[in-house]
Amino acid sequence: MIRPLQSVALVGCALLFAGPLNAQQVMSSGDVAKGRLLFATCRTCHYAEPAMGHNNGPNLHRIFGKVVGEQADFEYYSDTFKAAQFVWTPEFMFVWLENPMAMFPDSTMMSRGVPDPQQRVDLIAFLKQASVRDPQVND
Amino acid sequence: MAKDSGDIGVTRRALLGGLTATAAAALVSGAAALPRSDVESWDSQADVLVVGSGAAGVAAAIEARQAGAQVLLIESLAQFGGSSAMSAGVIYAGGGTALQKALRVQDSVEDMFRFISLVGTVHPPLEKIQLYCEGSPEHFDWLVAQGVPYTDKLTLAKGLPMGDESLYYSGNEQAWPARELARPAPRGHVPGVAGMNGGRRLMQALLLQATTAGVELRHSVRADRLVTERDGSIAGVLVTVAGEQLAIGVRRGLVLASGGFIHNRDMLMQYAPQLFDCSVPWGNADDQGDGINMGIAVGAAALRMSEGFAIAPIYPPESVLSGIIVNASGQRFITEDAYHGVLGDAIAYHQQGRAWLITDRDSSYSFHQDNFLPVAEASTIGDLAAQLDFPKGALQQTVAYYNRHAANGEDPMFRKSPAYLRPLQGPPYTVWDLSATQAFFPAHTFGGLHTTVDGQVLDSFNKQISGLYAAGRNTSGIPTAPYIASGLSVGDCTFFGRRAGRAAASLEAKA
Repeated sequence: MIRPLQSVALVGCALLFAGPLNAQQVMSSGDVAKGRLLFATCRTCHYAEPAMGHNNGPNLHRIFGKVVGEQADFEYYSDTFKAAQFVWTPEFMFVWLENPMAMFPDSTMMSRGVPDPQQRVDLIAFLKQASVRDPQVND
Repeated sequence: MAKDSGDIGVTRRALLGGLTATAAAALVSGAAALPRSDVESWDSQADVLVVGSGAAGVAAAIEARQAGAQVLLIESLAQFGGSSAMSAGVIYAGGGTALQKALRVQDSVEDMFRFISLVGTVHPPLEKIQLYCEGSPEHFDWLVAQGVPYTDKLTLAKGLPMGDESLYYSGNEQAWPARELARPAPRGHVPGVAGMNGGRRLMQALLLQATTAGVELRHSVRADRLVTERDGSIAGVLVTVAGEQLAIGVRRGLVLASGGFIHNRDMLMQYAPQLFDCSVPWGNADDQGDGINMGIAVGAAALRMSEGFAIAPIYPPESVLSGIIVNASGQRFITEDAYHGVLGDAIAYHQQGRAWLITDRDSSYSFHQDNFLPVAEASTIGDLAAQLDFPKGALQQTVAYYNRHAANGEDPMFRKSPAYLRPLQGPPYTVWDLSATQAFFPAHTFGGLHTTVDGQVLDSFNKQISGLYAAGRNTSGIPTAPYIASGLSVGDCTFFGRRAGRAAASLEAKA
């Protein structure tokens, strides 16, 4: 059996270099304002504010750089995520969100994903911004 | 908990093997029903087949099994629990439940009935509401017996408890005019777990109970089309499992419990355009309306398809309720302390999806939140109005009228609760966008199949479709628009899901 890390890396490379958006764009071209509304649907299960903690899904504050499936006090990862060893990056998030159930069929994330690549980029831009702002400042 | 979906209990075979050539050709079409004569043999059979593993389906399965039926429950996704498992798990219950009594809360069946029947929609489903209220204490006992954990703790705070309290005012009970129509009581019964994940705990308990009782649960099995006998009764269902199509026969009854259609954009545009515009489809990925469409395809009537839960969750914090909410004319149109489902309904359905919250210094959001964006800020109401597109002088007039009476502890127009009523004064003043398309504005659907109190699906002539039952958001039930309290939906799912399961199991088994 291929480890999730390897299979994901393969899919990721294929998409990132063949698709309309490259890795550089994923890192830099998102619209945070649009991403805010796109993330609203994700809030059914995920919060981006650290104070809110976990929901049905794990908290996503500063998600980039974290090892998949290892957040403290979150007990509802799928077996695949528990066994996985890769680290969340914007590039990997971009690939994963296209069709999460196709990539990891046993995922506990009940979402059909975000097929539009620009929307995924916007969503990632929002998550990046939400990870660095000061929660006390009402900007 | 359940076996892999690949083994469905019989020899696995492609549907095409079990169908006639005509039927196989017809499979390319949508959810239209298939005649029984086109199915040569069943790949599997059940006394009672339940489609969907949310609260309605699992409650139906438990009761059908305990009534002696052999029960198969199928779930289209890889995880059981449906939208119920993603919800807060609130059950709206009252009339003197064990928990209300333990906490010395005064309530009566009559007050609960008055609240549900008088505060929300016109022409509510009175027969269902009556049964629901009368049966509520017993239903809560049933939930406890299934292992759903509740704490003997009450909170008076507005909104879902973030601690482990299990009883709270979950709806519009204390807002005007509800408080004058029915004596308020806390009726939101929520599993005693911290945070907003009571639904997960509720479904863990119900799914465990179903498994223990002997219900066969299969995930990753998608129901596609119903199969009907020549007389129109339900013979079975065609399903897809791992890309292959199978036919499952039903000896007694089939219960559709596969949820609403908030994730089906085409159906929203067709049936519920106001919900189409709400920014956040709120529910499980497979709330696609499949069960509703399968029912319609065999002649079922569908009711209240435009209705749903449209939510403008401006609280917590309760301090913002001292602000005022205005429409595009710069006028108030509702009491600001209305339940967020009542507020959301008013905005989405009655104000063209547009509204603004206006706060002063003390009622402003004091922390960053992404739900509602500030669109104007000023040190006077006049300067604030100048930044927006309200009719000339309208906002100033609204605030002047409101402040004049609020200073005397009165709100002649909408009778906001005294706890939140005070003049709007003290800059900076801020305007927050509550519009359905721009704010955090979750929505899900309430429209669904027409059913009796026992879940029997009815056609357009009010005739029962033999062998077909439905429950939960696959039906039109207790929840209607405006949604007046959290817990009415999952409460309806479990209460009427149980009844549908028992009724389906009570049918005489076909040979």
